[in-house]
Amino acid sequence: MAEIYFTKDHEWIKVEDNIGVVGITAYASEQLGDIVFVELPEEGITAEIGKDIAVVESVKAASEVYSPVSGTITKSNEDLNSTPEIVNEDPVGKGWFYEIEISNNDELSGLMSEEEYQKHIGD
Amino acid sequence: MSEAYWGLEQNLKTTPLYKVHNDNRAKLVPFAGYYLPIQYENGIIAEHNHTRNSVSIFDVSHMGQIKISGPMIYDAMEKILPISFSKIAPGQIKYTQFLNNEGKIIDDLMICRTFEEDHVWLVVNADCTPKDLDHLYNNLNKTYKIELIEDRALIALQGPNSSNILKTFFQEIDDMPFMTADWFNYNNEKFFISRCGYTGEDGFEISIKDRYAEKFINELLQCEGVKLAGLGARNSLRMEAGLCLYGNDISSSVSPIEAGLKWSIPKERIENGGFIGHEPIKKDLENGVERKLVGIKPLGKLPAREGTQIFDKNEKTIGEITSGGYSPSLQTPIAMGYINSDILKSECEVLLNVRGNLIPAEITSLPFVEHKYFRGNK
Repeated sequence: MAEIYFTKDHEWIKVEDNIGVVGITAYASEQLGDIVFVELPEEGITAEIGKDIAVVESVKAASEVYSPVSGTITKSNEDLNSTPEIVNEDPVGKGWFYEIEISNNDELSGLMSEEEYQKHIGD
Repeated sequence: MSEAYWGLEQNLKTTPLYKVHNDNRAKLVPFAGYYLPIQYENGIIAEHNHTRNSVSIFDVSHMGQIKISGPMIYDAMEKILPISFSKIAPGQIKYTQFLNNEGKIIDDLMICRTFEEDHVWLVVNADCTPKDLDHLYNNLNKTYKIELIEDRALIALQGPNSSNILKTFFQEIDDMPFMTADWFNYNNEKFFISRCGYTGEDGFEISIKDRYAEKFINELLQCEGVKLAGLGARNSLRMEAGLCLYGNDISSSVSPIEAGLKWSIPKERIENGGFIGHEPIKKDLENGVERKLVGIKPLGKLPAREGTQIFDKNEKTIGEITSGGYSPSLQTPIAMGYINSDILKSECEVLLNVRGNLIPAEITSLPFVEHKYFRGNK
């Protein structure tokens, strides 16, 4: 069963075994407003925990997305190239950004649970 | 994600429409020292399109409204501004700039020659208001009274239906041409209404007493089709209309000639001078300028923001973007920026360096979207 984790910077990662799917949270997508472009990482490149890996362009501004874990990008969501607005419509579902093969599952222990994240944005 | 919009600043002022914003679930952001709505619940694209197709209300109360009165007011103002009052009828508005001795732009503004003829009425940029007042005090003698109007809100009503809405309150408004202004009465309140705006659409800017602003806006919102729009839509609308934003496209290091604002300076003022900044402006016109403001269309979908370097084919820097983003009307990215003038003569395809990606782009003329001002029933 997939488990979901969150970062304080408003990314989520759904993990099954050592494969993670990453996106931005509903809170982040709402704060950003209408999303018009997503710059996705290419397959095969290496992501480092906490380092920028993608860019979301909303009508307001460009924001960097930081990878919640280290690993190798195995897939990116090509639907976002033609319809970036699905990040606003379904941020934790169809609006995912990329799939990553996690190099060190221990990194997950530094992330937040859904409950912890809700508390974090409630502050 | 990097924190684009969730930082809050301290000691921010609120406008008289703060409650209206909150009642309508605005997303408030710090802007020019105020809490102002970047958008309401429908979002920037919806607000933008609604303005182009119908009518929207914008709270622009942060802008500086300044009344200047005194003897021979027009002569005095002509020493400061490159305009000709002999060519401005009472009730007419002109777009102009305060210039420094180097002929660069201190601020851009609207000035109205009022029907009373004993004062002029200015609307200036919020961030620039303090330095504009300094500039006025330094260049007008003590016989002139300079009043910053601090008890009036400013509301912009913009879009093709704005006149249909406003004439239900003020019948006479229908025939007012673009760039004119007058006083109107409604419910014993005095309204100073200008037919102008910052969207490229027909529209009005309405100056009303703070205490009455909320009530009036709520009455407007009762009218069919009237919706609120925020700063985000205001920015994408003005970019499509090719209108300069102070602090981005124009500043105290830019001359009006570089910014393509030559049209705002009458010929006889260039010839005869007598205003601050005249000499360098005249030189700019005689010798040409090294860079010019142009429209830029990035090819593809990636928006290029302010600060983006513009390269030629050999990746040599030839300019910089000063405003850039997404155009909801064209559904493509658009931008404005400065390019070396010698390049403009030949090349029209350039490269934009967006985070290391070289994006091909086209140089275009401004505006991106045609202006639809109401020029009168002639």
